[in-house]
Parts: sequence; C-alpha cells; structure tokens
Amino acid sequence: MPESLLKVEHLTVDYAVGAGTFRALNDVSLELAPGRVVGVVGETGCGKSTLGHSIPRLLPEPPAKVKTGKIIFQGTDLMRLPKWRMPGVRGTGIGMIFQEPINSLNPAYRVGDQIAESVRIRKLREHGLTPRVKPDVKGFDYSKRELPKAADVVTGPFIPPNVSQTLKTRSPPMTKEIHAEVLDFLRLVRINDPERITNLFPHELSGGMRQRIMIAMALSGKPALLIADEPTSALDVTIQAQVLTLMKELMEEVRTSILFISHDLGVIAEMADDVGVMYAGHMVEFGPVAEIFESPRHPYTKALLRSIPNKYKDEGVLPSLSGSVPNLSKLPDGCTFNPRCPLARDVCRKKPEPPLATLPPGPLGQVHKSACFFPEEVPTMP
Amino acid sequence: MGRSRSDLVVFIAKRLVQLVPVLLGVIVITFFFTHIAVSNPCAIWSGPKASPSTIAACVRNNHFNDSLPVQFYYYLLGLLSGNWGTDPLFHTPVLPYLLTTFPETLELVLTATAMMIFVGIPLGVVAAASNGRIADHLVRIFYLSGWATPTYIAGVVLAIGLGPLLGVSGGDFSTATPPVPQITHMSVIDSIIALNGAATVDAIVHLILPAVALAFINMGIATRMTRTSMLEVLPLEFVKTARMKGLGEFWVLYKHALRNALITTTTVLGVTVGTMVSGTVVIESVFNWPGLGKYAYDAITGYDFAGTIGVVIFFAIVVVVANLISDILYGILDPRVEWR
Repeated sequence: MPESLLKVEHLTVDYAVGAGTFRALNDVSLELAPGRVVGVVGETGCGKSTLGHSIPRLLPEPPAKVKTGKIIFQGTDLMRLPKWRMPGVRGTGIGMIFQEPINSLNPAYRVGDQIAESVRIRKLREHGLTPRVKPDVKGFDYSKRELPKAADVVTGPFIPPNVSQTLKTRSPPMTKEIHAEVLDFLRLVRINDPERITNLFPHELSGGMRQRIMIAMALSGKPALLIADEPTSALDVTIQAQVLTLMKELMEEVRTSILFISHDLGVIAEMADDVGVMYAGHMVEFGPVAEIFESPRHPYTKALLRSIPNKYKDEGVLPSLSGSVPNLSKLPDGCTFNPRCPLARDVCRKKPEPPLATLPPGPLGQVHKSACFFPEEVPTMP
Repeated sequence: MGRSRSDLVVFIAKRLVQLVPVLLGVIVITFFFTHIAVSNPCAIWSGPKASPSTIAACVRNNHFNDSLPVQFYYYLLGLLSGNWGTDPLFHTPVLPYLLTTFPETLELVLTATAMMIFVGIPLGVVAAASNGRIADHLVRIFYLSGWATPTYIAGVVLAIGLGPLLGVSGGDFSTATPPVPQITHMSVIDSIIALNGAATVDAIVHLILPAVALAFINMGIATRMTRTSMLEVLPLEFVKTARMKGLGEFWVLYKHALRNALITTTTVLGVTVGTMVSGTVVIESVFNWPGLGKYAYDAITGYDFAGTIGVVIFFAIVVVVANLISDILYGILDPRVEWR
C-alpha cells in the first residue's frame, strides 16, 4: 500500500443555523493514495459537498465549524495550519472544480486571463518567488505519465530563503510562456481554437465550455489532488456525457489523484477506483468500486444500487427507497438509517451505528468497510 | 455585440445630445423662478442712494418692463452669443468669472471623490470581509457619523479645530499666498505646473480640510454600497474559484470580488459626485473657498440673476457628465453591458 496523499480522519463539521446547530459531517474518515480516484456518493444533503469543501478549508466559518478531525495532506495536518497559509496549499497542492460552471468563472475577466492567473501562480511558486508550502518541488509534467509529485506541499519556511538570489538568477516567468501554457491547457481539454477562446468572456460561452475551462484552470495549477464537486450535475445530459468522457480521458493522461463527488452512482462506477457512500453526514461504506457494486454490505448502498434504471430489461416499477434523508437537525435515535432500513431491529434503534469496520474479502477477493451492525445479512436483504 | 469602439462613440454622442434638453429645462426653470420671485431688482441693485434715473436706466437695460417671455428671449439670445449677463454690482461679465471659479470647485470635488474612492471603498471591503465582527462595526460607526453630521458642523469643526494646526487661520481657505500663474485655476495643479514647491504645499494644506469635510459627509454612500454589493458577491462560486487558485485573500477580495462589486458602486458614485458639486455651496461658504458653490451663495443672496442661472447651468453639466462617466465605467467594469 503506497503512502496516502490525503487522509481525512474523524472529521466532524457542525453548521450553526439560527439558534440550533446540525451536524453536516459525523466522524468521516477517508484515504486517498496517489494516482487513485476516490468517488463520494450520496443523496442531496448527505454532506458530500461539505466534505469536498472542508479539505481545502473552503467552508465559510461561521456558519460552519470543524469540531474535530484531521485533514492530512502530504503528511501535514491542514487543520493545524494557520488560515493565512492555506493559499500556499491551494492551486498547486489541491485544485477544485465546482458544480455550477455558470458562476464559477469570474464574469469580469477574459477566460484566457483567468487561466493565465492560475498558471502564473504555479510558475511563481516553481521559481520560488512566492511563498508556498514546500519550496523545492518541481511542477508535474502532464505529458509524461507518472505519478504526480507536484507541490508536495507544506513544511518549508514561509518566506523562501533564496528570494534575492532567485530574483537575480532567474527571471520571473515570461508572459509569452504563460500564454503558451494557457493555450496548451485549453487544447488539453479538447478546445480546438484556443486563441479565440482566450479572448472571450465567460458569458459568451456555453455551460459545457465553461466547465471545460474550469477543468483546464484547475489542471493548470498542476495540483497533486483534484477535487471535483459534482462537475457535471448542472449540465445538460448530452453535455454531461461529453464532459465525463473528457474527464475520463484526462484521468488517463494526467494521472492526478481525484476526489470525485457525485450523486450519480453510474458516474462513480465509470470514474472511480474506490467509492465512499455517505448518508446523513456519515460514511456508511467505503471500498473498491467493483467490490461494492458487486456485493454491497450496507443496506443503504444496496437500496441505492437497486434504484439505478436498467436500460435493457423491463422489470416493471423501478424499486425506490422509501422515506427521505432525515433532517440533519433531528436525526433519529440509534443508527441514522434505521427508519428506512428493511433490516432494522432493536439494536439499530438504540445504539448509534458502529464505526466503519473492515469486512472479510468479498466475492471479488477485495476488502471493504461497512458501518452496519449486520453487514453479512445485506446480500439477502429483501 | 454592441461593444465596439464606434458603439462607445455613438453612446457618448447620444448622451451629449441629451444634455441640450436638460440644460434648456434647467435654464427655463431657474430663469422663471428668479424673475417671478423678484420681478424688478433694480432698486436693490442700484443701492439705497440711487437716483430714479439710474434705476430707470437699469430697468431699461435689463428689459424688466417687458413681459417674461420677451425677457427670456433676450437672455437666451445673450447666452447663445456668449454674453451670459453681468454682475449687478460691478458690471463685470459673469461667464469669465464662472470659468475661473468652476475649476476651484472641481478641484475640491475631485479631491473629495478620490478620498471616497481610495478610503471609502476599501473601508467597505474591510467591512464586508469582517461581516458582523468588530471591524465591520467600527466602519459602520465611522460612515454613519459622517452621514449624520450636518455639512456645516463638519465644516466648522474642521475649519476652527484643525485649521490653525495646519497654519490656516481665520477659517479662510482661499489660497492666495505665493502667487503662481493661473492656468487651470486649480491651485494645486497650477503650483505644480509652476514648479513651485512652497506654493504646492500651501495649496494642498488649504485644500485638504474642505475636501475632507466634503468627503466625510458623503463617504457613507461609497462605503455602504461597496459593503452591500461585496456581501452579495462574496458567496458566489467564482470567489471560491479564485481562492482555489492559491490566491491570497487580498487578491481574492480586491481583484476578483471587488471588481464585480464595483459595478453597483460606480453607478451610485456617479450620482453622488453630481450632488456633491451642489453640496459645495455650504462647504465653500464655511471654508471661504473661492469656488462655484460660494459664488452660487453670493449670487443668490445678491439677487444676481445672471450669476445664479450660470451657476445652475454649470451644476447641470457636471451632473450629466458625472453620470455619463459612471455609465462608461459601468460598461468597462461589466463586459456584459452593451453600449446603447
């Protein structure tokens, strides 16, 4: 097992709303090895976006409040970094693609300038001209397939010791160079006429194009970890397919580690190596995608898998999961899933769910973790 | 697209053409108001010891025996031929005097505007960034106290309280000390053109307090608008995108968020600058600043019709031009706007 790139340990996040608080994330743990794609899936409001935003510490505080937990990125606990050092981790360490391409580009600047800004930040860090977290790491070359070592982040001194020296010996990155890179990254996301696109404003582009530009922008920082927060949910179905295909191809080319957040199991099955299933702020099941899809060991996962429509068979009414995600401020007693669970019994209504526990190898011979009292009963669930 | 350079030229031309009916309306209103309120000021103009023949000559010269529309016709005729009337006391022409006092006011207003832009707007950003925390409250106290202060109080307090500290005594802020050639009639710029260091310092010293007083009472608009629109912009996704690029908070706030928040602030600022010019009437009288505002005050109290109408024409031009500039800036700031 290679050393993990990102390790989220026992992360608990509260939101203060009005007088009360609710728990958006409850003791969530997650591990991401370099070069792997981890999917996070769950219904709306299960906390998957909160998880994605809490890793680069983008949560608005207040109302959000991280109660406990560690976010260990390349060996450094980001929760213990002072807030003003976080920009040094973002961009070159962790990049992010957001849900709404309509709003995620700045309407006042040309697309090319926005990507150039991101390239410039990376270049300056590569030249040691701006503080970043670990100085002597080279940018990751996406043209070669190797594991990303870009921005192996955090531990160096805040002010690079060799500023004056660097200023003398190396000239800061040239505008021409940056422009060339911008065009490269636009071509990387399959934009055929990058020269024209760089001069456009976001409002002159379609949603799919904007999302491509967002992807190009996130990649242009050459991050070691890319967080994709429902990157296709706001797009039309046909555009969704295009963007997904693009991302899949890019994953082959770029081999960066990705945390892929989606509510769509089909998308996760396509994209991810590992998957974490979330329910009401809890991580209920975690493991390799194939194994979990083959033999889910949590009743919620099983119910979710059943409700995927099958194109070729007419099986009558599509089974759906009765009930809805509980109100996070009024969680049921015991296991949070028990009111909707066909396997629920007395212990489920009294004791809170067990922590994620490793199960014996499943039919595909891989191990995965479940947070159910009776994981062995799930395969025979009615 | 409606955003090429020729579109901008057409846009500006259109707005300048609109200036004509605005000016005509302003002239009509002021002319009839002044002439109806005091139908024959010749007795006042000529003084208590004037002989009846002097008064009669005055009435004849000014067509005061004719009907109002005829008087208006004569006035308009003079206006178009460059004769904007004369001062009733010294019989000096009004227009050259307006042209020399207007830059003085412009200097004051532009300095105050610069203060609003470079102090008021950043204060709004600070307030929005620390929404609900101590800095936000301090900024609010600052701009609300500016808003709540009557113009003359702010002026008098500064003139009497701080004036002596800066070496300006007696509340007379009209710059006269080291004479420099009057080219632009803006004392600071004239002294810089004359390369006269002492005069420049003196001009700035005289300018600073009236400008601060004018800016202080109007600051709240810039700060409050910036704060409100920043609070609208900050939760948007592209601010998160900017943070995720690895930009520091300063650049996130000022390059990405403020750029979009400024779009609303600019519009309001244009209106404010327009009203600020007329707001100089009180400030200039308090500080004895030799500008348009003080001239307006003198003209109105001295029954100087030509002067009053002239000042109002200048005020109207400033209001229209300030709004035109803010509209152009609006279009520059927001690439989605088309020139129409």
